[in-house]
Amino acid sequence: MKTYYFLLLTILFLNQTFSQDKYFTKEGYISFFSHSRVEDIKAENNHVLSIIDTTGEIAVQLLMRSFLFKKALMQEHFNDNYIESHKYPKAKFKGIILNFKELDEEINETRIIGVLSIHGINKEISTKAIINFQNEEIIITGEFTVEVVDFNIKIPSVVINNIAKTILITFELRHKLYIK
Amino acid sequence: MCRKWNLKTIKKTIRVKITKFKILIGIFFIVISSLFLLLKYYNKPHKDIRNLKADYVLNAQYLLNEFQQDEDSATKKYTNNIVQVKGQIFEISTLNGNSVITLKKQDSESSIICHLLPEDNINVLKLKKGQNVAIKGICTGFLLDVIMVRCVIDK
Repeated sequence: MKTYYFLLLTILFLNQTFSQDKYFTKEGYISFFSHSRVEDIKAENNHVLSIIDTTGEIAVQLLMRSFLFKKALMQEHFNDNYIESHKYPKAKFKGIILNFKELDEEINETRIIGVLSIHGINKEISTKAIINFQNEEIIITGEFTVEVVDFNIKIPSVVINNIAKTILITFELRHKLYIK
Repeated sequence: MCRKWNLKTIKKTIRVKITKFKILIGIFFIVISSLFLLLKYYNKPHKDIRNLKADYVLNAQYLLNEFQQDEDSATKKYTNNIVQVKGQIFEISTLNGNSVITLKKQDSESSIICHLLPEDNINVLKLKKGQNVAIKGICTGFLLDVIMVRCVIDK
């Protein structure tokens, strides 16, 4: 309920302050990939919530347990031991798409900067992003890396060689106009 | 070394050697089966949702109310458990090859988004908007709607 209100308030606040259109999706795609000598691990989340407004502000939320892995044991370890999903069920990002108002091509490259919150830790990140305007959608794609240790994630020494220190995060968020 | 090599000691030596060999084979089997079990555990399959009993059987509206009234305790209660929801289909769509069924009542703001397993795609073809259906899957929490993954259509 808190999150619902928070998101609703964010939308309403943006609405009042800027009277701008909002674009949003409930089916954003975010995946992460870890490459190590022992094995490669990939997980995908197809239910990412993302809202942007025409000033370029972007707010993203996702549920950690919606990340699907091929290996059941990996998914279990991820949720129970590394991310501790019972304590931190969601990951959030709040930031701004740089120069959003100036983007006028169909395909543009720019940067997104903001704060990423995972496992209770807030970290500022900056990533290149491609902003695609087509068919009345705003499609944001890109990838960036994060260090596991930056988010206080403890990997037990038994599997330390199975998981990379640097994880590649890929996103593809297709936003449609938010119609009240 | 001066040892008396008569028939008696030869038989004893052979028996000792065979016993050592048996012990070695035994250890070998224990090691192999442990490795085998470890590999099986490492590669253990995801929960077989279709054949497992649901931890909670509820109406879509009831589950939504639970999350809207107290998100934290509903998250603790339902997340990572097998939930069976009964509700009215608001929308059927596809997402990267998987079917997604949204359960919602007309006037409700929030819905239950069910991400189906690919093997259930064929059962989705028989469903229509507005139809009542029971879906079983793993609840992952609440954003603006309740989200469930690894779902199957329940009979």
